[in-house]
Amino acid sequence: MSDRSRSIIFASVLCLLCGALLTAASNGLKGIQQKNIMSDRKKNILKSVGLIQKQMQYSAAQIDQIYERNISQLLVDEKGDLLGENRDGTPKNKRGLPVYLYINRKGLIEAYIIPVDTRGLWGKILGYIAIKNDGVTITGFTVYQHSETPGLGGEIEQNWFQNNFVGKKIIGPSGAFASISIAKGKAADSAPKERYSNYVDGISGATLTGKFLTSGLKDILTNYEAVSVKFRNIRKYCKTNQNTPWCRR
Amino acid sequence: MKITKRKAFRTLAGPIWAENPISIQMLGICSALAVTVQLKTAIVMGMSMTFVVAFSSLIVSMMRNWVPRNIRILVELAVIATLVILADEFLRAYYYDISKQLSVFVGLIITNCIVMGRAEAFALSNPPHLAFIDGIGNGAGYGSVLVTVAFIRELFGSGKLFGIKIIPESFYASGYEDMGFMLLAPAAFIIIGLLVWLQRYLAGD
Repeated sequence: MSDRSRSIIFASVLCLLCGALLTAASNGLKGIQQKNIMSDRKKNILKSVGLIQKQMQYSAAQIDQIYERNISQLLVDEKGDLLGENRDGTPKNKRGLPVYLYINRKGLIEAYIIPVDTRGLWGKILGYIAIKNDGVTITGFTVYQHSETPGLGGEIEQNWFQNNFVGKKIIGPSGAFASISIAKGKAADSAPKERYSNYVDGISGATLTGKFLTSGLKDILTNYEAVSVKFRNIRKYCKTNQNTPWCRR
Repeated sequence: MKITKRKAFRTLAGPIWAENPISIQMLGICSALAVTVQLKTAIVMGMSMTFVVAFSSLIVSMMRNWVPRNIRILVELAVIATLVILADEFLRAYYYDISKQLSVFVGLIITNCIVMGRAEAFALSNPPHLAFIDGIGNGAGYGSVLVTVAFIRELFGSGKLFGIKIIPESFYASGYEDMGFMLLAPAAFIIIGLLVWLQRYLAGD
């Protein structure tokens, strides 16, 4: 056999072996990995409303338990109305927007949680943003998946960055929708004082990640503005719509 | 028998101390800067690395008489890449939090010159059992430096070890502060530099 054909046969056999091994590992471990990912998402939802401590370790069962006790999921349309369900319980309109409600022990809605799915610099940024029941104040922001540069844009998954969102507002001083923006550098330096509550500190060296996140959050919060408006005028709204889930109290 | 025993021992102990891949050969510095903020990630990284080097050396050594010389680097890379992906998948399934913290660095073991270097320099010219031991030794040598650096960084940077508070509250009350600098990559550079100095001094170099 010539040297060349020997090389080709050796390489093909090796590739087949490696490929088979990796396929087996990937398929065999997929179930467990999927479970981890689901549990991690629930953990992020809980983190965004402050139901779990950031430093503590929780088992998957504990996460499930806290989640089941406090969080329920709804689908709404673009007007913020609950989507009707078909007889088998599936939503009528598949393009509904998911909202998670944090309902406390007394049955009151404490906060609502909006999934974040936006473009970053290198890939998607997935996470959650939670807003208090006044429809204005952010109670938390979390990221569970991203492909930003570690150490630069990747800092969006760090507590120091996410903590900056807590207490910020999505409406400006005039009461109009203003979204939440990532400042270039410190919020105090780059934003006018009266708009300070609409800005969070940026990450140095990650201006583009900040830009993408800012525009993504704006789009997402605009989509959910109808829900936020309901919460802002909850008294008025609930006088006429007592039976909707927003008026649980 | 005596000689092989001595050789096996030398193969294992050499890379841990006298030929340490990080502090003597200056390889794999990049990941040593990135994953040494906490002890836990450093240990997992050291173990993943040991697994990859040991088994890639073993497999390359077993194939060394059949691998066509002209494609040997490709073969080595295919073996290393397969092992790294296996380690990554395993961590993702059983140590999800840690694998998230290590992010790209497990995948980057592929590019770590220690692995390729051992396959080329040792495994291709030695029998499998020695190559395996050499891999374990190099992984342990790499891991031990990582753990030492992480110990110093986590203790002084955040006052913890394995995420548990070690420095008592009374210290903080009397004005002690964590060294924020320890959490940044340059601190790892300085610590590794000091370790190299210390080791050379002790070895009487």
